[in-house]
Amino acid sequence: MPITRFDTPASVIDTAVAAFFDDWSDFIESNLSTVAGTGTALGEFVDPSEFDFTITAERPLVWMAFPRQVLVDRRDDRRAAFTFADSDPATRNPQNEYCEWHVARNKAGKISKVTFVTESPEYWERLWNADRAAVVNLYRTLLNNPGITEADLEQPGPGHIYDQFNNFNTTGGIVHLIQGINKLALALGLAQDVHTGTARDNYETIPPGLRTNVDPRVEFDIGALARKPLSLTLREPIGLYITGFDDTGWTKPDGSPVGNYWTIVRGVPGLALRVEYQVPPGEGFVVGDIRIGGRPIEWGGQIAEHVTVAVVGAAGGRGRG
Amino acid sequence: MKNKKSDMLEPLEIAIDSPALNAKFNNVLEVLEKFEPKLPSGIFTPALGGDPAEELPDAPPEPVYNPKQRGNIQGNTIPGFNKDHQHFLFYRIRKVDRAKRWLKWIAPLITSMEEVIAFVRALRSARRRLGVEPPMCSAWVNIAFSQHAIEVLAGRDDAAAFGEESFRQGLAARSTYLGDPTRNSHPGHRNKWVVGGPKNEADIVVIIAADDPGDLVNLVNMIKRRADDATLRLIFEQRGDTLPGRLRGHEHFGFKDGVSQPGVRGKVSAAPGDYITPRYIDHADPRARYFAKPGQLLIWPGQILLGEPRQHTEHLFNPAPGGSNFPAWAALGSYLVCRRLRQDVPAFWKFAIGAAAIVGMPAEKFASMLVGRWPSGAPIMRTPLADNFALAGDEWANNHFIFDDNTLPSMLRPIPGYGGDPFPQAAQDILGAVCPHFAHIRKSNPRDIATDLGKPHDSMLRMILRRGIPFGPPIVGVKKPSTKLIKQERGLMFLCYASTIEDQFELLTRRWANSPIQPNFGGHDPIIGQRDERGARTRFIDFPTAAGPRRIRLKNEWVIPTGGGYFFAPPIHAIAGVLGA
Repeated sequence: MPITRFDTPASVIDTAVAAFFDDWSDFIESNLSTVAGTGTALGEFVDPSEFDFTITAERPLVWMAFPRQVLVDRRDDRRAAFTFADSDPATRNPQNEYCEWHVARNKAGKISKVTFVTESPEYWERLWNADRAAVVNLYRTLLNNPGITEADLEQPGPGHIYDQFNNFNTTGGIVHLIQGINKLALALGLAQDVHTGTARDNYETIPPGLRTNVDPRVEFDIGALARKPLSLTLREPIGLYITGFDDTGWTKPDGSPVGNYWTIVRGVPGLALRVEYQVPPGEGFVVGDIRIGGRPIEWGGQIAEHVTVAVVGAAGGRGRG
Repeated sequence: MKNKKSDMLEPLEIAIDSPALNAKFNNVLEVLEKFEPKLPSGIFTPALGGDPAEELPDAPPEPVYNPKQRGNIQGNTIPGFNKDHQHFLFYRIRKVDRAKRWLKWIAPLITSMEEVIAFVRALRSARRRLGVEPPMCSAWVNIAFSQHAIEVLAGRDDAAAFGEESFRQGLAARSTYLGDPTRNSHPGHRNKWVVGGPKNEADIVVIIAADDPGDLVNLVNMIKRRADDATLRLIFEQRGDTLPGRLRGHEHFGFKDGVSQPGVRGKVSAAPGDYITPRYIDHADPRARYFAKPGQLLIWPGQILLGEPRQHTEHLFNPAPGGSNFPAWAALGSYLVCRRLRQDVPAFWKFAIGAAAIVGMPAEKFASMLVGRWPSGAPIMRTPLADNFALAGDEWANNHFIFDDNTLPSMLRPIPGYGGDPFPQAAQDILGAVCPHFAHIRKSNPRDIATDLGKPHDSMLRMILRRGIPFGPPIVGVKKPSTKLIKQERGLMFLCYASTIEDQFELLTRRWANSPIQPNFGGHDPIIGQRDERGARTRFIDFPTAAGPRRIRLKNEWVIPTGGGYFFAPPIHAIAGVLGA
């Protein structure tokens, strides 16, 4: 059966306001466009709310959370890349891989916690419009700050307009994505952008202009699937997810392997929306004391390099609507 | 949505110590020798370069290496020694002044790119004239230094000027980052390494290579005598030999090794077509711009040699400026990674036999799906059902395949005596049903597929030049090997050259081989992948079956690190002129 209502990312339930879930489903649907029935030799993107879809294979499309553009622009200086990627918490402009992070430091200047998110601003804007109190409560819980008020999160002036660049989602913390192109609508557009042109393989495919990990990752994979031709869609619940984090080779100050200091705060393993990296207080040291392959953690980007983001595509055939 | 996947089955675990497996294991070993590539006959491979027709109009100009530069580049870096017999000497410096004198002595012995290319050309010319393999022999020497050695020989400032942080740290410090064991008790823990552990890191590695074993021994003995005189402490030495007879070019599990290497751009002279890497693709084929021969991608020399034009980060065939994060004297040098890897051949084949029986296929096929090639070297992408020795021996066909789309036949320039690639081309395998996502050759060389780092263009930034050779006596091809023989140590001296360690060797190892989800979901590289999660070393593969992927846990290990080091192979002038000065 075609999907009748799109779920929230990782199926989170943040409000009792039922209209919100309809609004979210409408938002997803409005950003999915079916190119069905063209009769071409190419595969097509299928809106699973319009057509049944038989999955041949799931294909998580994974990419590195650390921005590739920052690395290739500083090809011979990784420290400069890490410094730059952490440098602008007010806009997080360098972090353009649909994953952003916030670094908290202790009084000694050492990193005490790094928080990664993949939640889109569209979700939070809609949640705010449906249930401002829920948003305020979530901010309070996620940032462990009961003092946050509605006024802190909205733009000045009348109308209670949500301010995604509020202090608690920029310099003072992180709740969701804010970087200019880190929008779910753009990600969904990317996933549907089946344009293989005359390319017969990936070597002949013209890469997208952006020098990111994610854009060519998704475009090349979808183009290659469409040439089979396999039709494709996105697996429910549709969203951007932190799908892996690799701390092998990371060591405590005594040289032994680190414990599992990752916490999935929102989402579930494989479909995480918010992940925190923090050493439990009883360990007697902080994140900044950990070494990755012998190098002390000085920037959040060093951790981001080992975080993997994904959308889950499904390849197969379109059935009848 | 309807889901056809059936990955809900319990993961398989294979016990490899059953008597039944032992009996089958001997049979497999014996049979493996029969998987021999069949070399095509009557083909006269032209001497390297020199054919004006190889020049591609409008292509970006490639650097021309003049005699001085060719004489400065160490020959094992480019084009590679590829000798059947090699010996590795690992030294620690005790007295700096004596070490410097020894460096001045050995510098004239160091074999350059110039000499290796001249030898290869002479060999090919003689082969062409005689019609048989000419009895030409040579013995060659190369050398490389650790960061510590550069510090004591050239000074702290010069050592610190190497921007490659992994090199400055050394292999021991990066060991667990590469997935090596964290538990002290594990035989692969760095504290147990024969060389390169925290307490036995080598300052200098000398690579001696020869066609004739006697030549090799003589040269090794001479170098050792002079090193003794210079008070260099020999930490470890390792003899390496290609496997004998029909297994020449195979590694100890029985598989042909080193089939796929990138082709380095650049010219030996300004003469038209005088390329370091010969070009075989017809200009009418658009792939002539980025392949030297079918399946051999061309990379700019700066991916290997410091300071030279590098691969563009966004482009298949355009160059980018070379790096400058190293002392000026280090230009044309290359980083050398050495890993001494012990191979447990019985553990590998018993696992393959046991798992193959459960998934219902012959052990050879199952093992070949782990590698991505049949024992002969024939790619399973081109011959999924059975090995094909003629394909394996055809150098214009045995590496010609991509994964995500149907591979199109290559248009080749005329090759005297070669009738063309007659084998069925590889069909697309985007879902990894033929060559699984975990297969060693798909993990370490994703070719055309997109990865966690984006487009396949990026994968060209990760390529390395491998220069490995087996060590220890083989048991593949041996009929009923004795227990004593089985217990003898064997493995691979893995060596590779690159202009970065972190973005090339380490990335391939940690990011792809060791990860079950990168560059694509499907499991760990079951051949070289290492994984250590707080002491747990179990890996897995999601094996493709008709009913969907079946997860198989790999509880045993068959590749165990036992030593190595991160080194820098300097330009030859710097050996006496900087490090020995």
